Amino acid sequence: MDPAEVEFLAEKEMVKIIPNFSLDKIYLIGGDLGPFNPGLPVEVPVWLALNLKQRQKCRIVPPEWMDTDKLEEIREQERKLDTFTPIPSLYYMELTKLLLNHSADNIPKADEIRTLVKDIWDTRVAKLRLSADSFISQQEAHAQLDNLTLMEINTTRSFLLDSLNYMYKLRSNLQPGRSQDY
Amino acid sequence: MPCERKPMRYGHSEGHTDVCFDDEGKCVVTCGSDGDVRIWESLDDDDPKSINVGEKVYSVGLKNGKLVTAVSNNTIQIHTFPEGDPDGILTRFTTNANHVTFNSSGSRVAAGSSDFIVKIVEVVDSSQQKTLRGHDAPILSVALDPSDEFLASSSCDGSVAVWSIESQTQVAQWQILQKSSDVSNAKSLCRLAWQPRSGKLLAVPVDLTIQLYDRNTWTHVSTLSDDLISQVVNVVVWSPCGKFLAAGTVGGNLLVWDVEAKLCIERQKHEKGFTVCGMAWHPSGGRIAYTDTEGCLGLLEGVPSSSSTVQSTKVSRSSSHDDDDDRGLDEGMSDSRSPVKKPIMEEDDDDDDLMPATGRPRNRGSFLDDDDNSQGMSCVKLDGVPEEDGSSAILPAVGPAVSRPVYEGPMPTQPQRAFQPGSTPVHLMHRFMVWNSVGIVRGYNDDQDNAIDVEFHDTAIHHAMHLTNTLGHTMADLSQEAVLLACEGTEELASKIQCLHFSCWDTHKDWIVDLPKGEDVRTLCLGQGWAAVATSALMVRLFSVGGVQKEIFSLPGAVVCMAGHGEQLLIVYHRGTGFDGDQALGIQLLQLGHKRRQVIHGEPLPLSRKSYLAWMGFTAEGTPCCIDSEGVVRMLNRTLGNMWTPVCNTRDSCKSKSDHYWVVGVHENPQQLRCIPCKGARYPPTLPRPAVAVLPFNLPYCQTTTEKGQMEEQYWRSVLFQNHYGFLSSSGYEIDSEGQSRAEKEQQELLMKMFALSCKLEREFRCVELAEIMTHSVVTLAIRYASRSRRMALAQRLSELALEKASQIQEEEQEEEEPAYQRLICSSFEEMKLLLNFVFQEYLINIFKLQVSGAGKSSSSPAGQPRTTNVLDSMTMSNRKPAPLGSTSKQGKAPVLKPLAPKPKSKTQATLLQMSASKGNSKKLEDSQSEAEKVKPAPAATPPASAENIENRKPKTGFQLWLEENRKSILADNPDFEEMDVIKEGMGRFRTLSAEERLNWTERAKGDSDPKKRKREDEEGQVDEQTESDEGRTKKKKPLDTSAKLSAFAFNKE
Repeated sequence: MDPAEVEFLAEKEMVKIIPNFSLDKIYLIGGDLGPFNPGLPVEVPVWLALNLKQRQKCRIVPPEWMDTDKLEEIREQERKLDTFTPIPSLYYMELTKLLLNHSADNIPKADEIRTLVKDIWDTRVAKLRLSADSFISQQEAHAQLDNLTLMEINTTRSFLLDSLNYMYKLRSNLQPGRSQDY
Repeated sequence: MPCERKPMRYGHSEGHTDVCFDDEGKCVVTCGSDGDVRIWESLDDDDPKSINVGEKVYSVGLKNGKLVTAVSNNTIQIHTFPEGDPDGILTRFTTNANHVTFNSSGSRVAAGSSDFIVKIVEVVDSSQQKTLRGHDAPILSVALDPSDEFLASSSCDGSVAVWSIESQTQVAQWQILQKSSDVSNAKSLCRLAWQPRSGKLLAVPVDLTIQLYDRNTWTHVSTLSDDLISQVVNVVVWSPCGKFLAAGTVGGNLLVWDVEAKLCIERQKHEKGFTVCGMAWHPSGGRIAYTDTEGCLGLLEGVPSSSSTVQSTKVSRSSSHDDDDDRGLDEGMSDSRSPVKKPIMEEDDDDDDLMPATGRPRNRGSFLDDDDNSQGMSCVKLDGVPEEDGSSAILPAVGPAVSRPVYEGPMPTQPQRAFQPGSTPVHLMHRFMVWNSVGIVRGYNDDQDNAIDVEFHDTAIHHAMHLTNTLGHTMADLSQEAVLLACEGTEELASKIQCLHFSCWDTHKDWIVDLPKGEDVRTLCLGQGWAAVATSALMVRLFSVGGVQKEIFSLPGAVVCMAGHGEQLLIVYHRGTGFDGDQALGIQLLQLGHKRRQVIHGEPLPLSRKSYLAWMGFTAEGTPCCIDSEGVVRMLNRTLGNMWTPVCNTRDSCKSKSDHYWVVGVHENPQQLRCIPCKGARYPPTLPRPAVAVLPFNLPYCQTTTEKGQMEEQYWRSVLFQNHYGFLSSSGYEIDSEGQSRAEKEQQELLMKMFALSCKLEREFRCVELAEIMTHSVVTLAIRYASRSRRMALAQRLSELALEKASQIQEEEQEEEEPAYQRLICSSFEEMKLLLNFVFQEYLINIFKLQVSGAGKSSSSPAGQPRTTNVLDSMTMSNRKPAPLGSTSKQGKAPVLKPLAPKPKSKTQATLLQMSASKGNSKKLEDSQSEAEKVKPAPAATPPASAENIENRKPKTGFQLWLEENRKSILADNPDFEEMDVIKEGMGRFRTLSAEERLNWTERAKGDSDPKKRKREDEEGQVDEQTESDEGRTKKKKPLDTSAKLSAFAFNKE
C-alpha cells in the first residue's frame, strides 16, 4: 500500500464546506450529498470539497480538531506519554496535508497547524520506531499498539515486515543451539 | 454592602486638588495646582475636557452651569459649564482664596481667603457682597447653610465660627482646632459641611474625629470617630439625603457613617495612602468622587449601604440604574423637555421649543420631582428620618439640584437606538454592517483602511466587491439587486444614501442622494425594486432601486429598524416610553405592490420582559419574524389575525449564560433558524470568519416531554410554518405545492396519531375534537379506526361530523360554481355514503352480536336508527342540490380524477387526491386510504342475515331507486365499470333527467316497498360478483387486512 492509496482513503472523510452556489441534492453511489445552499454549511467528502475549492465554489470549514490549542494539547500529551494517544481523526496527517495545501486561506493559523501536526507525527513515528526496535531486540512474538493511524502503520509496514522476514531467514539458518547470542 | 473602589487615575500634577459633581451627576469636575479644571464624563474618560483658569486652582464649585474657581491670582472666577468660557471675575481678595463654595440654590458664593476675610457674593450681581471679618488667621474653609441663614467658617487661628449672614456677625465660635500660621502649615483643611436640606447639623472635622453641632443651640451633639482613623480628618461631606456623612483623612482613609446610628458603614483606604483633599458626593448618592494631594482622582461606587432597608433599596437601585436614573431626572428637571416626548425624539430639539407650556405639567404628572413639597415628603418617607420642624418651609425655592428628588415608581426605559438587523455595533473597528441571506457586508475602520467589503453567499449573484468608505457609511443593506449604504450627516456634510445597483444594465451602476440638512438616516432597507430609508425627521422615504424618489410618509415615532422582502416593508418604531426596562415598540407592515395597503397598522410589538429588539426581518418565504435580546424568536401568524407566535428560544440552546446566538436568517421550508453561535458575546467577530449553525424551531407548548405534547407541538408548528403557502399564493407567487401537500399530509398524519392516542386513552370527546380539525378524508379514516376499535358511539358522532364537513365543502364548492368539482364532490359523496353504509353495517353487526350474546332481541338498535336515516337522507338531499348545475355536455365522460389535480384551491380536495394518488413516505396512511376505497365490495362478505337486516332498515332515495333500475343499462354500456364508476356514471345520468322525473323518483323512494328493496339487493349482489370477477378474488380478504393494518398503524407508533 503506498501513501497515495491511504490518502485516497482519507478523501472519503467528511468535511464541512460553505458553498457559494445553490444546487439540489446530488445522488451518488456513495450516498446523497447536499442540498447546497449558499452560505449554509454542508458536509461533503474531502475529495468533493477540494474539487469545489479548486473551482472556487466553496470555503472549507476546518475540522474542529484543526485548531492550534487543541493540537498543542495533543502534542503535549503525545510527548508526555510513552504510548500512543488517541488522535481526533484517523486521517489527521492526510487531512492536514490535503486541506492545508489546497485551502490554507480558509484555515486560521495554517502554518502553526502544519508545524504542530508535523510535530505530532514526528513524535508518534519516533515512538513507533522505538517500539519496533524494542520488539525486535527483545525478540517478542507479538505486540499490541493502540491508536495507530493507517498512514503510520503504512510507513513502517514494508520495512518492518521485510526486516522480520530477513531476520527469520537468517535465524532459521543458524544452529538451533546458538540462537540466543546472535 | 461593600462599596467598590475604582482604581485611581491621574488627573492633575502633584499638589492640592478639589473635586465636585455637576448638578445632574453626569460629570466629575476636578481642579488642581496645574491651573486646570477638568471635566470627566466618567472615570474611564480618556479625554477629559480641560479648562485653564489660572496658574493654580485652590478650590472649585459648580452649580447651575456656573463654575467658580479660587485661583492663585487672588480672584474668584466664573466660567460657564460645560463650555468653559470665562464669565467674569466674581470677587477679589488681597491674597488667594482657599475655599469657595455655592449655597444650595446656587445663587450665592462664599469664599474664604488667606487675608482673614470671608466674602459672600451674589452670583448674578457681584456688587452685592457681604464681608465677614473676625478671624485672626487665614480662612481654611467656608460653608453656607442650606437655608441661607448662616455661614460656617474655619480658620488657621484654631476657631470654627458660625456667622449670621444677614447681620454679618458671629453667632457662635468654638476654639477647637490646632492653631497654625498658614494654610500650608495647617494640619487639616478642615472642610466644614452643613447637613443638606434642613441644615440641622454642622459637621466639623476636628483632629481624628468629626464633631456634629446642632443648629440654633450651637451645642456639640455628637462625635463620629473610628479606630481606623490614624491621622487628621481633612474633608467631610454629607450625602445628598443627609443621612450619611463621608470623611477623608490625611492618611488616605475614606469613611462613611450613618449619622443617626453613629455607625461607620464603610471604610476604604486610598490605594497609595495619599492625603485626601477633595471629596464630593454624587447627587443621586450612589458614589463618591475624591482627589488626593498627588493630583489623582478616585471613585467609590455603591456607597452607602444602610441599616434601613428602604434606603438600601433606593441606593442600590440608583447605583445600578444610574444611567437611566440620571436620564429620567435630567429630563424631569429641564422644564421644556417632557419625559414622554424625549425618548421618541431623542435628537429632536425643535420639539422642545414647541411645547414648553405643556412640558411642565406633564413632568409633574409622571415624576414627583421638581415639586418642592412632594420632594421633601418623598425624601422624608424614604430616608426614614423624622421630619424636621419646618424643613419644607425653609427649603430653598429653587433647588432641585441639591437633593435629588426620589421617585419610586416605574422608571422610563432608555429607548433603544435604531439599528440595522444583522449588523454588529457601530463602534467596532471591524464589523458586520449586514449579514443576511444574500451576503455579507463588512466594514473596516482602522488606521490603515476605511473600507467596505461586500461578499455574496452565492457568487452567481455578483462577485465580491471592495469599496473605500470615503463617506463614512455606517449602515448597509444588501439584496439580490443592489447594495444600499448610508451615513449620518456631520456639521458640514449632509446625510447621504449611496446605492450600488449592480444588477443595473446600463453603465451607471450607482447613485447618491443627499438628505435635507439636519435630517439623518437612521435605518434603511432594500426590497425588490425599491429601497426605503427612515430618517431622524420621523419620515420614511421610498426610492426605486434605480434612484427615483417615490412616496414619503411620516412615522408616529422614532424608527428602530426596517426590513424589506419582495413588496413588503416592515417598520418598527417607538410607540411610546417603555418603563422598567421594557421597550414600547410599534410595528407597521406595508404592502408596496400595485395594491398598496397597510397590513399591520402600528400594533404593539410583543417582546420579552426587559428586553429589546435584536433582529427583525422576514423569513426567506416572506413571513415577518422578530427576535428580542432574550433570544425569543417570534413569527407573525397570518392566520391568527396577525398575532405573534414564539417559535424558538435561542437561549435554550446556549451552553453557557454568556453565550448568544446571532441570527442571520430564518427559513420556513425547511424549518431552519440560521445563526452564528457567539461564545461569551452577543456579536460575532469578523475574524476568524464565523460559521453558520442551524437551530430547529420549538414552539413552547406544555408537556412536550409527553407524546401528546410532542405531537401537538409538531402539529401546530407544521401548521404555522405552512402559513406562508397561503400568503404566497394569495399574493401571486409560485409555491412549492409538493412541499405544501407534504406538510398537509404530515399534519393529517399527526392528527390521526393523536386521534389514535386519545382513543387508546378512552378520551372520546377529545377524539371528536381532533376529528374536527381533520380534513374530510381523514375523518373517514378516523371513523374506520373508531369502529374497528369498537367505539360505536364515537364512530357515530364522527360520521355526523364527516357529513357536516362534506356538506361544508360542498357549499364552498357551490359558491365557486365549478361543475367539474361538483362531480368530484358527488363521487366523493358516493364514496362517503358507501363507506358509511359499511360502517353502519358493522355497527349493526356488532350490536347484533351483542344482542345475540346478550339477552336476545332487545330494541337497542332501533334507537340509533332514525338518526341514521336522517343522516343519509340529508346527505342524499344535499347530494342532489348541485345536480341542476351539472352540465349535460360532460355527462358522457367518465369521471376522471386527474383533471382536477392541478386545481389546488381547495385544500381538502387536494389532500384527498394527493393522499390517494401520491406515493409519499406514509405508506400506512396511504394503504389504509386505498383500502378504504376497496372496502366497498365488503357488504357481500358480511353475513347475509345481518346484511338483510340492514337492507331492511336502509332508507331509499330517489337516486338509489333510479340507479337500481338503470344499473344494468350502465353496465351494458360500460362493461368494465366497477361499482364506484357505476355510481358515478349513474349520478351523471340521473342529473340529466328533468326535475319532474327526479321528483317522481323521490316520491317513489318515499313510498318504497320491500320487494323493490330485495330486488335491489339482488342486483347489488350481482354487481358485486361482477366487480369481483373483474378484480380478482383478492379483495374479499381485504377488509380484514385493513383492520389489522389500521390498528397496526395506530398502535405501533405508541
